[in-house]
Amino acid sequence: MPSTPQLSPQEEQEKLLEEGISIVKNQSFQMKRCLDKGKLMDGLKHASTMLGELRTSLLSPKSYYELYMAISDELRHLELYLCDEFQKGRKVADLYELVQYAGNIVPRLYLLITVGVVYIKSNELSRKDILKDLVEMCRGVQHPLRGLFLRNYLLTCTKNVLPDTEEELATNDYEYGTVMDSIDFILLNFSEMNKLWVRMQHQGHTRDRNKREQERRELRILVGTNLVRLSQLECIDMEKYKKVVLPAVLEQVVSCRDPIAQEYLMECIIQVFPDDFHLQTLNPFLKACAELHESVNVKNIIIALVDRLAQFAQNEEGSGIPPEIQLFDIFSDQISQVIQNRPDMPPEDIVALQVALINLALKCYPDKVDFVDKVLETTEDIFNRLNLDHLEYGSPVSKELMRLMKIPVDSYNNILTVLELSHFGPIFDYFDYQSRKLMCSYLINNVLENDTRIPTQDQVDNILNIVNVLVQDQSDQPAEPDDPEDFAEEQVLMGRFIHLLQAEDPNQQYLILNTARKHFGGGGDKRIKFTLPPIVFAAYRLAMRYKEAKEEDENWEKKCQKIFQFCHQTVGALIKADMAEMPLRLFLQGALTAGEIEFENHETVAYEFMSQAFSLYEDEISDSKAQLAAITLIIGTLEQMSCFGDENHEPLRTQCALAASKLLKKPDQCRGVCTCSHLFWSGRSASQEGELQDSKRVSDCLKKGVKIANQCMDSSVQVQLFVELLNHYIYYYEKGNDQVTIQVLNQLIAKIKETLPNLEANEETEQINKHFQNTVEHLKLRRDGSETEGPSYEELVL
Amino acid sequence: MSFFGFGPSADIEIVLDGQDSRKTAEIKTEDGKKEKHLLYYDGETVAGKVNVTMKKAGSKMEHQGIKIEFIGQIELYYDRGNHHEFTSLVKELARPGEITGNTSYGFEFQQVEKPYESYTGANVRLRYFLRVTIVKRLSDSVKEQDIIVHTLSQYPEMNSSIKMEVGIEDCLHIEFEYNKSKYHLKDVIVGKIYFLLVRIKIKHMEIQIIKRESTGTGPNTYNENETIAKYEIMDGAPVRGESIPIRLFLSGYELTPTMRDINKKFSVRYYLNLVLVDE
Repeated sequence: MPSTPQLSPQEEQEKLLEEGISIVKNQSFQMKRCLDKGKLMDGLKHASTMLGELRTSLLSPKSYYELYMAISDELRHLELYLCDEFQKGRKVADLYELVQYAGNIVPRLYLLITVGVVYIKSNELSRKDILKDLVEMCRGVQHPLRGLFLRNYLLTCTKNVLPDTEEELATNDYEYGTVMDSIDFILLNFSEMNKLWVRMQHQGHTRDRNKREQERRELRILVGTNLVRLSQLECIDMEKYKKVVLPAVLEQVVSCRDPIAQEYLMECIIQVFPDDFHLQTLNPFLKACAELHESVNVKNIIIALVDRLAQFAQNEEGSGIPPEIQLFDIFSDQISQVIQNRPDMPPEDIVALQVALINLALKCYPDKVDFVDKVLETTEDIFNRLNLDHLEYGSPVSKELMRLMKIPVDSYNNILTVLELSHFGPIFDYFDYQSRKLMCSYLINNVLENDTRIPTQDQVDNILNIVNVLVQDQSDQPAEPDDPEDFAEEQVLMGRFIHLLQAEDPNQQYLILNTARKHFGGGGDKRIKFTLPPIVFAAYRLAMRYKEAKEEDENWEKKCQKIFQFCHQTVGALIKADMAEMPLRLFLQGALTAGEIEFENHETVAYEFMSQAFSLYEDEISDSKAQLAAITLIIGTLEQMSCFGDENHEPLRTQCALAASKLLKKPDQCRGVCTCSHLFWSGRSASQEGELQDSKRVSDCLKKGVKIANQCMDSSVQVQLFVELLNHYIYYYEKGNDQVTIQVLNQLIAKIKETLPNLEANEETEQINKHFQNTVEHLKLRRDGSETEGPSYEELVL
Repeated sequence: MSFFGFGPSADIEIVLDGQDSRKTAEIKTEDGKKEKHLLYYDGETVAGKVNVTMKKAGSKMEHQGIKIEFIGQIELYYDRGNHHEFTSLVKELARPGEITGNTSYGFEFQQVEKPYESYTGANVRLRYFLRVTIVKRLSDSVKEQDIIVHTLSQYPEMNSSIKMEVGIEDCLHIEFEYNKSKYHLKDVIVGKIYFLLVRIKIKHMEIQIIKRESTGTGPNTYNENETIAKYEIMDGAPVRGESIPIRLFLSGYELTPTMRDINKKFSVRYYLNLVLVDE
């Protein structure tokens, strides 16, 4: 009957523990007092009463542990006292027998262990026999919790007295025992403790299962200490470990059929014994892994081992993995055995094992690409066998597989090495659309980050096949389009990637571009706008390379011709996709490049490109702003070029002027013709040396500009245009155009000065004003400056 | 017994030979106290001196003779009046006459047969003692002196182990084994319990030493059981296949030799009792 039913279980525990501890304190005090007076028997009686507290069934493992700790502290006092007495020669006859009269087994065995250790330490009786006796007698406690702590006490007390000598050295001291006796001792204690620990699982109500498992986990260290103790025996060499220790431990672990114990103990083995032992016993260990209970997370165990060995392989310089141990093959075989033994293993765990294997391969055999490839092959086989594909994004198996695939990418940091893995690409097919896209972006980002150049057509073909999801539409893509921003980001990646397609040899480069063109060409209208321009630019660059190396290749001109055809056609594809401004620019760039390369036919090609740009301008660009921008670009391009003879230049520049004056809006017209004026001044024709410097036509253009400006209704825009015109005039005046006189400047300045104050005061006006002021400032500087060169500004009225 | 004026005017003292060097042994008295007496074995001579000391120096005492008896007897507590003497030897120390002053008489019972061991039980006592009687006209002066007898026995020729399989059908099957069937008083019981089938929740297991004292004969036999020792040998519930060691040192318990039909009056036997307690 609970005395205070309102106590929570935790308070109940605290209370019970407190009571226990206070009895322990009291009894231990009396024990010490008796010992001080030399009354050993009375002291033992108190010790026994104190130990009686450990007979309780009411405490939780945690509280029991605390009680146990308190008591074992006190027992140490008893042990010290007895050792002291024995050393002084005051042996108590038959003490070992005497303590066995205690009627209750738990106190009796604690006392027996304490006295047994005193006997060992004072070399009474045979050490070996005492150890054997103690570990055998402990069988009497079959209660899991009490038994575990009792045996832990045994293990703790005997810590420093276990014989640790080789058998052959110990022949004359049979009594003392050898390391073999210690091994037997610990192994027996280990298996008994493990049995007790496992038994806890099957006691009590099923509804308390979680609590029980939690409690068991809290106690696991007690069992694991046995293995720690084994690992501390120096005389256990490889032979003994392999033949005696490990088989016995594994036997116990496998046969207990308890997932919690198996999982913990296997990890424990990995952690406590040295790596070179593991290396020599991989087969038995991994074999045991395959035999573990099906709910044991074998993956974690194997991964722990792999991680350790991989680290070992990296840490120990020189020694590393002995060459005779086929680490990878062993793991590979055993892991496949494990997978075979567990038909219910979730696929993500299977993949996780492959992750471990691939890590092992990369860390222990960094130059063996085929090992990594073998792992990928196995993975592919497994997916095939399990009939898995379209792994859903975010699912555990998809996550694991991504992890697996990223490992070679990250560790090689070189896509070219990754491409050597023949099974890398095919695995992409098992992902769903979303995962595939992420993986591909990851891959391409890796290429970009490492600035990896892709030097052959095959490699390009290969990569683009792998990252196909970023290149072309997919059969499994969702009906709803991707987020435009994400999509753009992805495609920009591809655009950047194209610039890394670089072969040493220009012919190879041409093949590369063709391949890329084929892949990207199928990308659909939305993609090609990101991917084809870089290809065109790369092609222009290639043409420049041919020109630079024209001495080495007699066919360079034909090749250039071909490149421009390629570009023409590629730009054509963009036009078909309803694009205008981008193709226009590309044509202009092409014209510029062609003009510069000067291969046979280059003028024709450049002219074709220019005229294509014109027709795009005329047919496709309707927005007035875009028109102005386009014509400005065309004019700018033409101004830069010098490859055209008069018969070609003339129509082009005239066409420009015509187009400029045909712009819809007056201000646009004005600006257009002004820009166009430069064609007649600094433009170049192949038919004559130097700039055209056609003063008359320049002046005509500007006059036309003034005329158009005058027609503007918006006075603010008008003044702005006048200021711009003034700047053009000044430019030409300074360049020495004889049609531009100081009077024209004065007129314009006067006109501006007259109109400007009438403008409404606003930001725009201020800007115009500033522009004008700056211009005037420039003129002042010119007028007052000491520069003798250039035309005179004397008559300038400011 | 002593009345005014007629009381014994002399003290009687029995001094046994080798009193200081002879081994002693303890025995319980009826009321549970312990007494220490000299220890004799079968066939040993019991000899010594009887000292008669006058209380008043110079006085005399008349008597009808002085004798000493060696008596071995069995007392059944429920039959107080009847003591069964299985041994009774008498020696005359003095003929009727007068004692003047302190006198000492030597005596010797040569190679006395002492067939049984001294014993104090729940219902019966077996004791040996010497009794000096100064026969007087009114009341005799008597002095008794107990001795303790231990019997010696040989190691048994056959002392096989006890091994047995017992159980409750479909609940519990155990096999137990004790290393001997006959143990001496300072022996150690070594054995083990092997669990063949466990379907009940056992809390603990103990071994008990039961002493059974039988007195009387035939229909009047009266048995008295006493648990001499309770010794826990297992804590908690074992599972099938578990074997639990037993080791019990006997010297710490108050045991007597097993006694079979002593003088047709009583027997003392010991049993080992294995107790399993379930929840």
